[in-house]
Amino acid sequence: MDIDQISDCIKVAACICARDGLISQAEEEMMFKLVLEKIPKYQLEQFNHVIDEFFDSTDQIEDYLRKITTLELRKFTLYLSEVSASIDGLDVRENIALQKAYLIWGEHSS
Amino acid sequence: MSRIEQLSPDPKSHIKTLMRIGYNMSSAVADILDNSIAADSKKIEIYSPPGLEDPLISILDDGYGMDAEELIENMRIGCKDPSIEREKGDLGRFGSGMKTASFSQARRLTVISKKTDEPIVAAIWDIDKIEETNSWCLEILDEHEISLIPGIKIDATTKQGTQLIWGSLTCLQKGSHALDQDTELASLLSALNIYIALHFHRFMEGRNKCVFSLNNQLIKPIDPFMTKADGYQEGRSEKLRCKGGYIVIQTHVLPHFNRMNTKDMERLGGASGITQNQGLYIYRGNRLINAGGWLGLAKNSQLGALARVQIDVPPSIDNEWSTDVKKSSLQLPPRVKKELRKFLSDPIKRSKRIHSYRGTVDTANKFWKVCEDENNGIITYQFDPENKNLISLISSSDKELGARIIQYLKELSINLPINHIYQKMSESPKEIDQQSIDIEMIDAILSKAMEEYEKTNKDIE
Repeated sequence: MDIDQISDCIKVAACICARDGLISQAEEEMMFKLVLEKIPKYQLEQFNHVIDEFFDSTDQIEDYLRKITTLELRKFTLYLSEVSASIDGLDVRENIALQKAYLIWGEHSS
Repeated sequence: MSRIEQLSPDPKSHIKTLMRIGYNMSSAVADILDNSIAADSKKIEIYSPPGLEDPLISILDDGYGMDAEELIENMRIGCKDPSIEREKGDLGRFGSGMKTASFSQARRLTVISKKTDEPIVAAIWDIDKIEETNSWCLEILDEHEISLIPGIKIDATTKQGTQLIWGSLTCLQKGSHALDQDTELASLLSALNIYIALHFHRFMEGRNKCVFSLNNQLIKPIDPFMTKADGYQEGRSEKLRCKGGYIVIQTHVLPHFNRMNTKDMERLGGASGITQNQGLYIYRGNRLINAGGWLGLAKNSQLGALARVQIDVPPSIDNEWSTDVKKSSLQLPPRVKKELRKFLSDPIKRSKRIHSYRGTVDTANKFWKVCEDENNGIITYQFDPENKNLISLISSSDKELGARIIQYLKELSINLPINHIYQKMSESPKEIDQQSIDIEMIDAILSKAMEEYEKTNKDIE
């Protein structure tokens, strides 16, 4: 998994965590921690840049999901999204977005 | 088939609407100061000389300034689209603040500006002229006319800056039975001083600080959290990522009233002001927008008086927070409310703890007993009948005297001036000092009263 690919994974997770326009500190920290576990050399600045790009973009979750094509990446994205969004309680809207990701990718990711 | 009719607002009526947008003098000046800060000013002078027949208020900054084209564009009402993202440090929102704020306080707005290496430019909105001509007629002054503007401070030696002058002030209630003009203006300026010191306190400190002055007197910042005072407690904090930055939430607990410096306490409105202003302190781009109140998330209480929650919001999310034209009110988005609820219990609980701790010291003394009847929800303060000195006194008295002492103490308890004590404890707790009771004076009065009593008794015999 390279750094460009991880950007799309982070954006999906950000999209799920920020269903109401905000990402909590706990969610953000968990997201970064999980990314670091996957890519230890990943820098905080790179992570912040990806999150800023996410907030500046008008793309919807479907657009981000479409960019991730491999099973390994999809599995990691769903794991990243679910664990991060759940860290401070999975909100109804966050849960709907997560379920949407599961539905769009189907059983290939499960 | 339907047709389109262009219906521009009637200037004469529209200006009256703009004049009543709900500013007070302090919030109107604050809106002008937002523009000065956005222009990267390092020095802002507010000036209103007393003794003028036609008083004026001048706000002068040393910011970027404007050329003729920019000045005319900025004099347009609604010159900026609120949906366009502002640059960092730009506290503006609707592009109407300078005009609406000015029209709410004065009938004549003069703006003089100078950009580096550019000539001085000036323009005037005069409500009398707008009403007379029923048109948005902006007056652009030539060089000679500019030099004749009363109260002008920008001249050829000025490098850059902008000066606003409000004339024909409507904020002064002329002809009212109240105060004379100068006294009324002085009282408005005094309130303005405190408003600026509180709402712009963050701009007055730090490396890029801006110096604010009012009638040549430096405005000193008011820190609503008393972070440098002894006994201040910093609480939990949290960051929420959003478009354009972070919403930062930080909880604070002020020191107990007894530990506060008297001057600092007074600047925050005294004990009653501090109690009243507990709650949320919302900053938009470092500028305080909301000073206290729980916005429906909690109730004000005497025990929560010291609790404060600071929320920093970037101007980029104005839409979500429904900021109004005055930038003096906003609505919390649901998610922020949810996050805040997690925080509120912490400072309120700690504020209560500070009060309760001090409360137990006061109540648990050997002369007074506090009885809390939880079943009936009644609290009473009464003399402690188990006090050893009292028991010894009554035991050594005859039956009749003992009964009279007990009766007297009962009445003393019943007639404790609770409301007065509560009021004074809220308003000026530092002034109450029971240790200063003049015992010698009490002895003297008692001796004299006893002498007179004995004399009267002898005369009767």
